[in-house]
Amino acid sequence: MTIFMQSLISGILIGGVYALIGIGMTIIFGVMRVINFAHGDLLMLGMYGTFYLFTLFNIDPFISIVVIIPLMFLYGGFLQKMFINRILGTLPQNQILLTIGLGLVMSNSVMLAFTSDYKILSTSYSSSSFDILGISISTPLLISFAITAVITVALYWFLLKTDTGQAIRATAQDREAAQLMGINVKRMSIIAFGLGASLAGAAGALISPTYYIFPQVGSTFTLKAFVITVLGGMGSIVGATLSGILIGVAESIGGVYFGAGWKEVVVFVLFLLVLLLKPSGLMGKSNV
Amino acid sequence: MKPLFKNIGVLPAMAGLVVIVLLFLLPRFVESTYALHIMILIFISIVMGSSWNLLGGYTGQYSVGHCAYFGMGAYTTMMLMQFRQVPPWLGIWVGMAVALLVALIIGSICFRLRGPYFVLASIAVAEIFRVSALNLKDLTNGAEGILATDIPPLKIGGTIITDFSSKVPFYYTGLVFVLLVILVTWLLQNSKLGYYFQAIREDQDAAHSLGISLTIYKNVALSISAVLTSLAGSLYAVYVGFIDPSTVLALDLSVQIVLICIIGGIGTIFGPVIGALVLVPLSEALRSNVIGESLINSGVVSADSAFGGFLTENLSHAHVLIYGVLVVVVILFMPDGVLGFAKKLAFGKRKEAA
Repeated sequence: MTIFMQSLISGILIGGVYALIGIGMTIIFGVMRVINFAHGDLLMLGMYGTFYLFTLFNIDPFISIVVIIPLMFLYGGFLQKMFINRILGTLPQNQILLTIGLGLVMSNSVMLAFTSDYKILSTSYSSSSFDILGISISTPLLISFAITAVITVALYWFLLKTDTGQAIRATAQDREAAQLMGINVKRMSIIAFGLGASLAGAAGALISPTYYIFPQVGSTFTLKAFVITVLGGMGSIVGATLSGILIGVAESIGGVYFGAGWKEVVVFVLFLLVLLLKPSGLMGKSNV
Repeated sequence: MKPLFKNIGVLPAMAGLVVIVLLFLLPRFVESTYALHIMILIFISIVMGSSWNLLGGYTGQYSVGHCAYFGMGAYTTMMLMQFRQVPPWLGIWVGMAVALLVALIIGSICFRLRGPYFVLASIAVAEIFRVSALNLKDLTNGAEGILATDIPPLKIGGTIITDFSSKVPFYYTGLVFVLLVILVTWLLQNSKLGYYFQAIREDQDAAHSLGISLTIYKNVALSISAVLTSLAGSLYAVYVGFIDPSTVLALDLSVQIVLICIIGGIGTIFGPVIGALVLVPLSEALRSNVIGESLINSGVVSADSAFGGFLTENLSHAHVLIYGVLVVVVILFMPDGVLGFAKKLAFGKRKEAA
């Protein structure tokens, strides 16, 4: 039972970060109907940014998100304006391939600049943990979960309460109708991609104390982001939040009972089952 | 002439024959093993690209999990050769059978989904195979991979035809495979089956309402495509002599397979050929650092400068970068691929002249 509780708790903690990755992906999909295959690579950029902020300027990885989020927002907006906007009306496969291409360019440029060596960001608290009722909780995971929660709440507030947030949701609901209502759809797309990128970057910053950092780290997270987004229902932010945590728990419990090597298979089988049984995802076609 | 050949002009047919004859004679004149190596890589790429093209280009089902079939061919042939002493020219057939079986299973699951969902499902299935190959260590050696120690010589009636010590037998095998896939593509393009495929690509609901069974024909397309892809995988495994999950079952490989077609032009017979001819030499040039060296030798970049050192150190690692840059450029500026772009250019000029 302790083992079960232990893996449940650590699954929930890591699931918070997965939720952040999934929310970013789902906002991009919701607003533009583009599946962002470069999502994991955006996360990788966040990891590298955090790593160099830490080694060069000694900025704590959890504080560095203050820098990473706006930087990644600008970068995402740039990608949207320069590349994605040009192919919005074309075949979905072209959009997929374009984002795959952008992802390859990002990961390989990083490899050129910083080599493909594995980097480790070790802080004083990287491997520290504390016990509650016999369950050990990793300190960096707990801090990152808390920050994730704050970011998610702020995001919900932004999307539900502000004018821009409502305009983004309107665009996601019906692009043409939103345009007719006088919403600048292109601008909303840029903001949406910027948001997605900054959430991926923030997730990268949050996991950098606990993960290896290398140029190809993105593809694992891109795949996870798909699973989370589809599981939650494409475009549903509530769904992505829930399914992020669900995937974290499934991975963690699957790892314990089937062995660490098979935990990814557990996730993909779950993914296929959802695709087959309920392709619209857990939260169906709800808006935001 | 048979009616099948009526839509080919005499001139292109002659030119094609000349090219094929020249390709068959090439190893007699070319001594350089490096040139043969590049040719074999191009052949393997054409086979993978053309096989994907049958499903992605003609039937419109964008599988980004084709490494599964490549890996099935590679692993089956290699495992039979290393662990059961089955020679590769028999193992290839088993590989094809396994790929067919896998394709039928994957098809029955993934073809219930459409568009982006199908793409995601195909990736997920391929990832399941990769992780399984990593974990089933008793069967596949896991992450260590399988290294071929020696290939048994090919004998027919006691006379040794080849002992696979040079690259020439691989060259001919590759060439025959290429001709086979091109022939299959061409036959399909002009057959009823091919028209069904293209009807599904253009509008699957319309095709369905005309009585074309989507499940059956999508699975047929996938099966043909998978079997041919496994040929490329088997040839690659025996030729390179080493396979592991991160080379033959990786997402990167699936993406490369798609890119070969996209860059050349999908849904055309020669698109994948052009794609392979563009991609393989480019990425090999980067890998072997020809570009970096030539920049330094031509005096553009000094070898002693920091940038020159950086180039020689790192450029060879980034051969995949060129795939990324190319696909972005192609998607944004030549959505019909290099072949389509060239056609458009030629057509545009003709229009101007008229």
